[in-house]
Parts: sequence; C-alpha cells; structure tokens
Amino acid sequence: MASTTEAPAADAAVDEQLDTDKPWIVLVWNDPINLMSYVAFVLQKLFGYSNEKATELMLDVHHKGRAVVSSGARERAELDVFRLHEHGLWATMQRDT
Amino acid sequence: MGHHATRHMMRRRNSGPFVAQRDGTYVMNLAPDVQAMLVHMFGELRDVLTTGDSNEPTLQRLFPVAYHQDPESNEEYQRLMRSELVASRLAAISRAVEVIDTAQNQAPILTSGDMSQFMQSLNAIRLLLGTMLDVSEDDELHGHSDLEDDDPRLAQHHLYAYLGWLLEASISAQMNRGEIR
Repeated sequence: MASTTEAPAADAAVDEQLDTDKPWIVLVWNDPINLMSYVAFVLQKLFGYSNEKATELMLDVHHKGRAVVSSGARERAELDVFRLHEHGLWATMQRDT
Repeated sequence: MGHHATRHMMRRRNSGPFVAQRDGTYVMNLAPDVQAMLVHMFGELRDVLTTGDSNEPTLQRLFPVAYHQDPESNEEYQRLMRSELVASRLAAISRAVEVIDTAQNQAPILTSGDMSQFMQSLNAIRLLLGTMLDVSEDDELHGHSDLEDDDPRLAQHHLYAYLGWLLEASISAQMNRGEIR
C-alpha cells in the first residue's frame, strides 16, 4: 500500500499526485434519439436521483448539450459509464478540471 | 366515490401496453402480431451484435466512446469492457424474447427486472433504427413531409415512432409504480 507521507521526488511527481487527486466526472451528451423521459428515468434508476434532480440534469443535457451526472474515483466513473452505455445513453468520462 | 368512478379509474389504470399488477409484475397487453414483430426485431438485434461488424457506424452507437479526451485510455476501456457490454445486451435480449415466447398466446407477465431488460432492448433497437434513419430533433417537430408516400423509409419512420411510443409507455408504467431503483 502506498504511503501518503513519502515526499515526492520531483516537481513532476507533485503535479502527477495532484492530478490523480482530482475526481473523474461522468458526462451524458445530448443525442437526437433517446427520449427525454427515458434519460430522466435512467438517471433516477442508476443514481437514485429524485425526479426533480434527474429532470434538471436531463434538461441540461437537452439544452446545453451535456451534463455531469456523477463524479468520483476512476473505477467508479468507469462503472457508471458502463451502466449508462448498457442503457444506451451517450456517456463519457474525463478528469475534472 | 361511486363504483362507476372507481371502475372508470380502474379502467384507466389498467389500460395501455403495460399494466402494473398488485404482485409487482406487469402484464404486457400487445397484440400477438406486435409481440411477434418485437421478437423478430430482438432476434435481428442479437444477430447484429453477434455477427455484425463492430466498426460499422450504426453499430457504433451501441458502443460509445468512454474516454472522449483520451484515445489510449478509451482503447483500453473498449478492450476490457466491450465484450461485457455485448454480453449484457445479449442477456437482456434473451430475457425479453423468453418472456414473450413462454407466454404462448397468453399476455406475457414481466417482473420488474424483465421490464428493465425489455426496456433496454427496446431502446437499443430504437438507437439502431434512429441512427440508420439519421433522425434529428427536428424530425419530431416537423415530421417527414419531404418523403414520398411510397418511400420505404416512411414505414421505418413509423416503426421508429411506434417504438418510441412503446418505450414511453414502459417508462410511464414503471414511473407510476415508483420503479426507479
């Protein structure tokens, strides 16, 4: 298990450490096929969002082109992307900026 | 409330393609030829997933990019997860077909899990058809007035619209029950 008390060897390592501390975000992108009701339903089902929250996110996807639907560790984000892909949503992930 | 009003409400609640039952299941009220059409389309989807060219643009819609800013990570992700996604889709299709097949001329009964598998498979067909037809959000507003009456794409657009209606009905049935977990 990596120690958190080890001093970074170089500035590059510090940058890398900081970078890996940033959470990953999962985005859902607008597409012309998925029904708005379907997107809102899937967001409720997968993430336990309230109807209001899921609808708000769905409307962001629809009007702004995308919305962040979850965030966290990389493995968690990959799982979320997978589950969204299972449901046919256009989801991607990236490091939060 | 009088009996007539109650019966009226019961009728309203018990109408539509998917009717929620007290035991947590759903009854699928679809004509046998519609059920047969769905089984046929699920079979086609299964064939495309098992034998289709995975790089074909239409099929790509079922396997979106995961890392849109990082091709290398995306390649690794696809290498590890794509087969799992195919397996998941095939399992959902198999269950959707099984539910209809085993009903044998009775109205199929779906558990909440079956309903979810059915909905995902229905949506996958719609994604493929919509991609093939190159639908846009404008289509919903303006229809397909540019297509001639004998254009074969017209029937496909009608099918696409019907699948959308059916999907919407499955969502409503689940929402009405609070089936969101």
